[in-house]
Amino acid sequence: MDGYQYNWNVVWQSLPELRQGLIITLQVSIMGMSLAIVFGLLCAIGRLSQYGYIRKFSVAVIDFSRSIPLFVLLFWVYYGLSLKFSINLTAFQAGAIALGITGGAYMAEVFRGGINAVDFGQREAALAIGLTQSKAFNLVVLPQAIRIIVPQAVNVYVGLLKGATIVSVIGVADMIYVAQYISLNSFTPFEMYSAVGVAFIALTVSIAGLAFLLEAKLNKGRSRG
Amino acid sequence: MDNSQLFFDFAPIWQARTLLLEGFGIAMFSAVAGIFFAILLGLIVALMRLSRYRALRAIAFTYTQLFRGVPLYVLVLWIYFGLVYAVGIDIPRIPSGIIALALLNSGYLSETFRSGILAVEKGQREAGEALGLRPWQVSRFIVLPQAGRIVVPPTGNQFVDAIKDSAILSIIGVPELMKVAQEQANMYYRPFEFYTVAGLLYLIAVIIVSKGISKLEQRLARFSRASKEASSGERRPSEVGG
Repeated sequence: MDGYQYNWNVVWQSLPELRQGLIITLQVSIMGMSLAIVFGLLCAIGRLSQYGYIRKFSVAVIDFSRSIPLFVLLFWVYYGLSLKFSINLTAFQAGAIALGITGGAYMAEVFRGGINAVDFGQREAALAIGLTQSKAFNLVVLPQAIRIIVPQAVNVYVGLLKGATIVSVIGVADMIYVAQYISLNSFTPFEMYSAVGVAFIALTVSIAGLAFLLEAKLNKGRSRG
Repeated sequence: MDNSQLFFDFAPIWQARTLLLEGFGIAMFSAVAGIFFAILLGLIVALMRLSRYRALRAIAFTYTQLFRGVPLYVLVLWIYFGLVYAVGIDIPRIPSGIIALALLNSGYLSETFRSGILAVEKGQREAGEALGLRPWQVSRFIVLPQAGRIVVPPTGNQFVDAIKDSAILSIIGVPELMKVAQEQANMYYRPFEFYTVAGLLYLIAVIIVSKGISKLEQRLARFSRASKEASSGERRPSEVGG
């Protein structure tokens, strides 16, 4: 190979398509995160249950979902489940479900960690001044737990955003998919994948930075504790 | 015999067992090799970040941000397809996958190692210097062994992530477990069975490694009071794998 001609123009020309792909990546990851929050909350509540068998079951579900690779889950949902139970999922839906399962396990830990981090005396104090169980949780424990939960939830989202890139394997037209078919036509995989990589690094670094600022802001009134 | 009515048809799995286990072996090999090089790279980058030279710190910081921000999928494609065209280095599939896993995990591990080194009490270094040890001797014999104990659990978590991430290498044709499962699922038209079994094999590997790490952690805790206090505390939740 004698002197590769870099062709960065291809990247500029395909910016509109790449942007379209990025929007789809964001949509899949946000759908996945929403599912993860619901699934994670259910698992976290299950883990704090007073019944031993519900706790054990929740722990098993969490361990299970976070030990199986996202990639395997994706194929299992999209090809396995849909054929076995004749559910017709679109690639987009399958991607969001797989992300929701993986993310849910991590979110369950985040929720549990946040709730456990609130000093038990806070709850006792709330009950002692006559609040009901649910009021003590909603008005006293939850607001304090949120401070711990939000920044960590953002970190989970960053992970899901990066994980969401693999949905192109099952044909979701996300940014990687766009980069793939453009580089197939123009023989510029280096330029296209570099551009996508840079876009993702910029995105994840800025979201992580946002989480950092948010954490500082949420912790502002905390010094008195 | 007509097996098409069975809910879970085990026969094709049994027929493909050797292939599946071979794939499993390649997956584990990639993860182990990837994490091995990630530990070496991560240590170098961590030491650079703690260097007194600003340029080295800046390079190390950029490195960390870069590889913690890029999705593994993009990194794998970039190394395997991108570099061939642009630089003309044709790296075979398995090494490409291992390089990608090593680079990605080294970004996370360098942060782990850095905080591990910083967690060793400053008095330890001072005491070492007071005894007349040279700076490298203090690092080698006093700080690093103690930091090593602190970083075992998070490094183990990273290894677990590397095992899970290795499934992504199938996209460049590394004949690991997921690739084998895909081929066999298509051949027998039994995706549910093959992906379930693939998932279970990853699950088993992850459980065994996690158990091993907590055993190791307990053993190491016996040797030092400091790390017993450190590791009995909260464990940083690991990041979601790409």
